[in-house]
Amino acid sequence: MDFQWDSEQQTFRRAVRDFLAAHLPQDWESLAHGPGSESQSAFAKKFCAQLAQAGLLVPHWPQRWGGRDADPWTAFILAEEMWAAGEPRGGQYMNVNWIGPTLMRYGSQDQQARYIPPMARGETIWCQGFSEPEAGSDLASLRTRAEKRGSSYRISGQKVWTSYAGHADTCFLLAKTAPGREGISIFLIPMRTPGVIVRQIPSLIGEGDIHEVFFDDAEVPGDALLGAEGQAWEIVRTALSLERVGIPRFALASRMLHRAVEKLEKAGRFGHGAVEQAARARAACEAARLYSYSIVDQRRHGTPVGPEASAARFATVMAERLVGEFVVEHVPEALSGGDSMLLAHHQRAIVAGIASGAAEIQLNLIATELLRLPREPR
Amino acid sequence: MDFKLTSDQDALVSAVDKLAARFEARPTEFLGFALVGHELERELEDGQYFDIAQVPELGPLTAAMAVERLARLPFTAEIALSMLVRPQLAGEWPRPLAVAENSRPGRFLATAKTVLVIHGENVGIVQPAAHEVEAVESLFAYPMGKLKEGTTTTQLSGSEAANIRKWLRIALAAEVSGLLQAAVGSTVEHLSSRKQFGRPLGTFQALRHRMAECAVLAGGVRWLALKAAGTGDEGDAALAASHAQESATRVVYDVHQMLAAMGMTLEHPLHLWTYRLKALLSELGGRGGQAKAVAQHCFGCGGPG
Repeated sequence: MDFQWDSEQQTFRRAVRDFLAAHLPQDWESLAHGPGSESQSAFAKKFCAQLAQAGLLVPHWPQRWGGRDADPWTAFILAEEMWAAGEPRGGQYMNVNWIGPTLMRYGSQDQQARYIPPMARGETIWCQGFSEPEAGSDLASLRTRAEKRGSSYRISGQKVWTSYAGHADTCFLLAKTAPGREGISIFLIPMRTPGVIVRQIPSLIGEGDIHEVFFDDAEVPGDALLGAEGQAWEIVRTALSLERVGIPRFALASRMLHRAVEKLEKAGRFGHGAVEQAARARAACEAARLYSYSIVDQRRHGTPVGPEASAARFATVMAERLVGEFVVEHVPEALSGGDSMLLAHHQRAIVAGIASGAAEIQLNLIATELLRLPREPR
Repeated sequence: MDFKLTSDQDALVSAVDKLAARFEARPTEFLGFALVGHELERELEDGQYFDIAQVPELGPLTAAMAVERLARLPFTAEIALSMLVRPQLAGEWPRPLAVAENSRPGRFLATAKTVLVIHGENVGIVQPAAHEVEAVESLFAYPMGKLKEGTTTTQLSGSEAANIRKWLRIALAAEVSGLLQAAVGSTVEHLSSRKQFGRPLGTFQALRHRMAECAVLAGGVRWLALKAAGTGDEGDAALAASHAQESATRVVYDVHQMLAAMGMTLEHPLHLWTYRLKALLSELGGRGGQAKAVAQHCFGCGGPG
């Protein structure tokens, strides 16, 4: 066991930081108010293409798909630096983290050839069509239907709280081809398909981040199906396991905590109560960091990732909460135009315990799979 | 960054596991507060386990792993300070070690051969004579003792004192880590077998979620303690001790709630871990003390004066 970064890892982190310093515009902090916003989405397309050219968009992907087979640590260092900088990749982080790798594993040759290269070039935005008005944590109860008609499918239903849908080119959609959990299938649907309608929902978490998406008898060819009919649950489990420690939220939380403390120090307001709260939050960030690293390390050694990923995720939720509460209590001016990065962090932190599997679902998983407590009756 | 154990670490952890296995069970006739493991201590001494940190292939990180593993036992012995703090002292200082903080009773103080004496910012050291220490009755599940007033100590220099404080924090975090894991494990066992309303308590979501949160806290303390032992960094030590005391405060309350009346009896072993945790909550200035250290070493400021 060794907690030091090796020289290759240090060099890589420096390279990413140098890249960020050279490519983020002067007004980046005011731009970073919403990863799904008009301005940031436009910037992200330019930025991701530059990252791709520098070999920093998908270094952990196989060479065949534009990567260099770098190990999971490289991918995570990259993710840490990007998230801590305010995620200039916008919604494209999803392509890099899980949509690309999921297509590599389950996609047909045609799907891979069509969708993966634009991701590797940083040219395309995806959205994730999972949640529905009646299917949040209880994802299996989703109602969107895909009916086979000849060689195509007709999609009908509604998705909601969909991030990045306003600018997305393609949707990674869950729909039912048969009743029950075993009847859920995945479709890769171009958002320009007639019958796909997107409406932005004003939100607390930043401009352009939440939408509802309607599928009004939208027709897609049979080859939009990913894997086999009914294979969604298996595919989604794989995808979510990549996503569970996909966003290194602790990195931005920790950086923002330091920023808040610096402000308080400068103003002579870093008194007893604040010191104790800051220490608690800082320790929680570090615990979340190490938990997440332990999952990355499991991936690095080819160990199947188990319920510890849920523990890592929950540790991150606790850290985000403590930092968020610290800022609201001690630097409240940040939410009233005083600091755009602290504001952006606050908006993103609200999501920590909700997106990609609610915190309470993680606690259930920890109780059953890690602690081996008896299951709840259903 | 690599969390896989080296072959040396793996061998040592296996050896400690094997040794610990013989001390897993509490003697059924024991109904006291502190279950002192004299035999455990002898075996650790004989096997030279107290010197793990000085072995270059093992170092303090492996010693911390041993400390947390042994803290999971119902038996207690002075292990953490001997394994993690004693190697940092200049010169030969006999074990067991104890800390006398601001004239309060301390763990193992009545039998310690070397005592670190903390008064405010100063740290002194002394090998007390038998008449200079005394045992005190306590609810804590460590044998508690007191250093008598007027004992003459040798003051450590500022840098020595800072280093000792750092390693005291790491030792505290490693010990808390093991105790938390054991307290959580013992409670999980109870929730799995105890039935109310016709089903195991562990099937009730209100308890499952609390238990899961406790487990996450315990795991976090473990990672922070190991990292601090691995890097020997001041900031890491402060964070580890801070998270340890913070988490212990929460977990001790929660696990006793879940054991309810059973946990109030000395027939159930829970107190052997939770009442050691309670003893550790106030050490090194408690959460306020750790927060000050975090402010100094992680935020680069002195914090409030």
